[in-house]
Amino acid sequence: LISPRMASGMQEKQYTPSLLSFFIYNPKFGPREGEEEKKILFYHPIEIEKNEKIRNVGLCEAIVQFTRTFSPTNPAKSLHTQKNRQFFHEAEENYWMVMVVRNPMVEKPNKDGKPPTVEYQEEEIIDSVYGSVLQQCYCMYKLFNGTFSRAFEAGGVELLTQKLEKFFYRYLQTLHLQSCDLLDVFGGISFFPLDKMTYLKIQSFVNRVEESLSLVKYTAFLYNDQLIWSGLEQDDMRILYKYLTTSLFPRHSEPELAGRDSPLRPEVAGNLLHYGRFLTGPANLKDPDAKFRFPRIFVNTEDSYEELHLIVYKAMTAAVCFMVNAAVDLNREFCEQLDSLVGPQLTLLASDICEQFNINRRISGPEKEPQFKFIYFNHMNLAEKSTIHMRKTASVSLTSVHPDLMKILGDINCDFARVNEDEEIIVKAMTDYWVVGKKSDQRELYVILNQKNANLIEVNEEVKRLDMMGMDYFTTLKLSIVQVLLTASV
Amino acid sequence: DNMHRSDNRGSWEFQPEDTLTEETGNFPSTLAQANFKIMSESWRQHRKHVFVLSEAGKPIYSRYGNEEALSSTMGVMMALVSFVQAGGNMIQSIFSDEHTVVFLQKGPLVFVSVSATRQSEQQLRRELLHVYHQIVSMLTQASINRIFERRKNFDLRRLLFGSEKVLDGLLDVMDSDPSFMLSAVQCLPLPSSSRDALSHILQKAITPDLVFSFLIANNRLVSVVQEKTVLEDARLKPSDLHLLFNLIRASAFQAGEIWMPICLPLFNHDCYFYAYVAYLDPPECTVCLVLLSTDKEAFYAVAECKRKIEEAFASQNALQWVANTQLYYVDDISVANLRHFLYKPSKVLDHHRQLSQEERIRLLDPYRNMHNRIHSTSRPLKLIYHSAGKETLLAWVTSKFEMFACFTPLVTKKSAISELTKLLRWIKKEEDRLFIFIYAFPLTFQSQPCKRQSVTQNVKK
Repeated sequence: LISPRMASGMQEKQYTPSLLSFFIYNPKFGPREGEEEKKILFYHPIEIEKNEKIRNVGLCEAIVQFTRTFSPTNPAKSLHTQKNRQFFHEAEENYWMVMVVRNPMVEKPNKDGKPPTVEYQEEEIIDSVYGSVLQQCYCMYKLFNGTFSRAFEAGGVELLTQKLEKFFYRYLQTLHLQSCDLLDVFGGISFFPLDKMTYLKIQSFVNRVEESLSLVKYTAFLYNDQLIWSGLEQDDMRILYKYLTTSLFPRHSEPELAGRDSPLRPEVAGNLLHYGRFLTGPANLKDPDAKFRFPRIFVNTEDSYEELHLIVYKAMTAAVCFMVNAAVDLNREFCEQLDSLVGPQLTLLASDICEQFNINRRISGPEKEPQFKFIYFNHMNLAEKSTIHMRKTASVSLTSVHPDLMKILGDINCDFARVNEDEEIIVKAMTDYWVVGKKSDQRELYVILNQKNANLIEVNEEVKRLDMMGMDYFTTLKLSIVQVLLTASV
Repeated sequence: DNMHRSDNRGSWEFQPEDTLTEETGNFPSTLAQANFKIMSESWRQHRKHVFVLSEAGKPIYSRYGNEEALSSTMGVMMALVSFVQAGGNMIQSIFSDEHTVVFLQKGPLVFVSVSATRQSEQQLRRELLHVYHQIVSMLTQASINRIFERRKNFDLRRLLFGSEKVLDGLLDVMDSDPSFMLSAVQCLPLPSSSRDALSHILQKAITPDLVFSFLIANNRLVSVVQEKTVLEDARLKPSDLHLLFNLIRASAFQAGEIWMPICLPLFNHDCYFYAYVAYLDPPECTVCLVLLSTDKEAFYAVAECKRKIEEAFASQNALQWVANTQLYYVDDISVANLRHFLYKPSKVLDHHRQLSQEERIRLLDPYRNMHNRIHSTSRPLKLIYHSAGKETLLAWVTSKFEMFACFTPLVTKKSAISELTKLLRWIKKEEDRLFIFIYAFPLTFQSQPCKRQSVTQNVKK
């Protein structure tokens, strides 16, 4: 007997949230009737008919204006409809960015050839998560293109629309909305925990290089995709970090993993003195005819507004970013100088760090790193740590817990955001998981415990115990962070 | 200041903005900008605005301000609804840092709530649904639909003239009474013997077509009896009771009696009952008798029932039982850290009054937030323990009850749990006195027609 379900291949189909449209507009550019098209600076998907674009932009304007009726300074941030959700972000004065996300839905098949019933699951999307994703889109654009207003000043609407088109066409393809979660709200940086000695070695390396290469304005030092030191302002480093770890590093990771004889392996310098190479700029220093250029980035856009060359140089798992004033012409000579100066030192440093790290682990034992599932974030220095995410790149976020639990964390984070006080929220979820959220001193900690028959007291004891265990870990984390803070302010 | 109710009823000017939207299909941004200036700061400061308008964009009600002056704002709201609808979609809500705007459409009526209370969308929408039902309770759903079918431009204010205070009252009570959040009705604590005796008196005072008799004291339900043969499997929903109580409150009469049509929307949204309402204890007017009949002409017969009830009460001095009712305080149970609680066994609710009215209203906000999280359709929770600067809050739902409690901020988890356990034990002990188990058991059937059945007999399971 074949079950009717199987016979007609009836299966429930689950659709994850996806990008429906994304547009940028400025109402000042087309204030009069008949000029509406002029407001639109970027619109994806491009195939949408002109009048529909105008109508969609008009709706957003109307909603923003309507909410201003009730609070002039706090207009709409999101619009919820049955089928989709729209997020609004006024990135710069009068420049609005809108992202439209289709709600996750379930398609349930019907018998007798009737069309399937669609059930929209609005609760699955948390506003703070996608709102943050939208804001980050702007930050990433700004990192590589500077502000909207500057582009407009330099080359009018034409230049601005050109830049927007060029950037967002590619960038939107990297958005993976089905795997966004609490970490997108934080937009934090993972720090590499170091002992004092090694930290000082790195610092003196940076000082030496900056002294020898006087052109270098800012430096950032990363190891293993984690930050150790940065001379940039927090907000700039945060977006640069995201770019490095989700775009640049993954693109260049394969050659390093390739075997010794693989054609992918980069040409090592003739003298085999070091493993350093450029990730941006000259791919092969030995070829004198090869053209190269460094990507430009824009930092300190609120005050000094600096345009810089971004030099990323890597040796094994250590990567250094050198940022030089864009007005300077960086030629082959400079690159060779940098290569011979930094290559050997960085190679040595990288193996030092590795060795020291292994020694430390052996001493303190594997229990030093807390074994429980948690997410930690510090608002002051943007330090973030998650033992729940096994791999988080632009394209995938593998979590070891059920997505519903991640959304519960998102809910708790929203509740925390309402007041500026220290709080603790403990919840028991339907599946007998306990989630503990703690907020104190600008830090947030979320712990997920799977303790089926535990009660509140037992859970409380467990968390206290984990807190103690975690104390050392977090202390080390804090120590290196304090060092970063101190040196960054110099 | 033009911020009071419009006296201009029944005439409605067709606004030019309406044609603009239709012509171009675009949003005239001038439309939205225009009403920006009218609004005063004090109008903006209100915590929750509620607007009712028709599908044609005509204003029907606004909680604050002159709805005539707000007609262009309402026009914008309707335009937003239609615009999204035209795309085969449905507008639900708009969120900003300070406000949540929630939309609800029921038939030809559109309801909009603009709230700074941080309630969830679902909670706000439920409140709008209550507003809709309150309007239905005055007009019936069938007649609302019929009116607008014939004339899309009808000005419903004509029919709701004088009823704004009913809606005002409903909105005020929803903001201060947790009964709405819990979809339950508060009962007057009474020993079951007293309650049974009162119910018995109500049961005896009958007349044909009388279907419900309620006894209410201080806004709490004392007893309900229901005619069995006319309304066999019917159940009264708490929401209908709230609407009924609100209508009575809003009519604000004291001496004498009222005879008014009322529809109970969840019971039957298309027809009227006729309610006889009188206070049994003038001039204090705390004990209210409500008799519902299906016969419009039955006033005298129903008034006679009231007289019989009054007589029976007087002979047994029944009003004293109600007056003597002891509201309990948490001190009774010696739980030093527990400041306040709400408890609802699967159907009915109660709470106590240790805190001031203001504090209890303030607690509604965090309670509602926890209620929303616990009852989430996609990720419901069983328990929330939230310790913050001002207090520690707990929300707990099991198959038998749901409970919200507020403790002093420094309470340890151990004490909180132990006090809660003490409280639960106490509630269990006092169950009879605290709750009316209206829905917990099947009605016992009588063989003769028109014999009244008391729904308040506590049949223990």
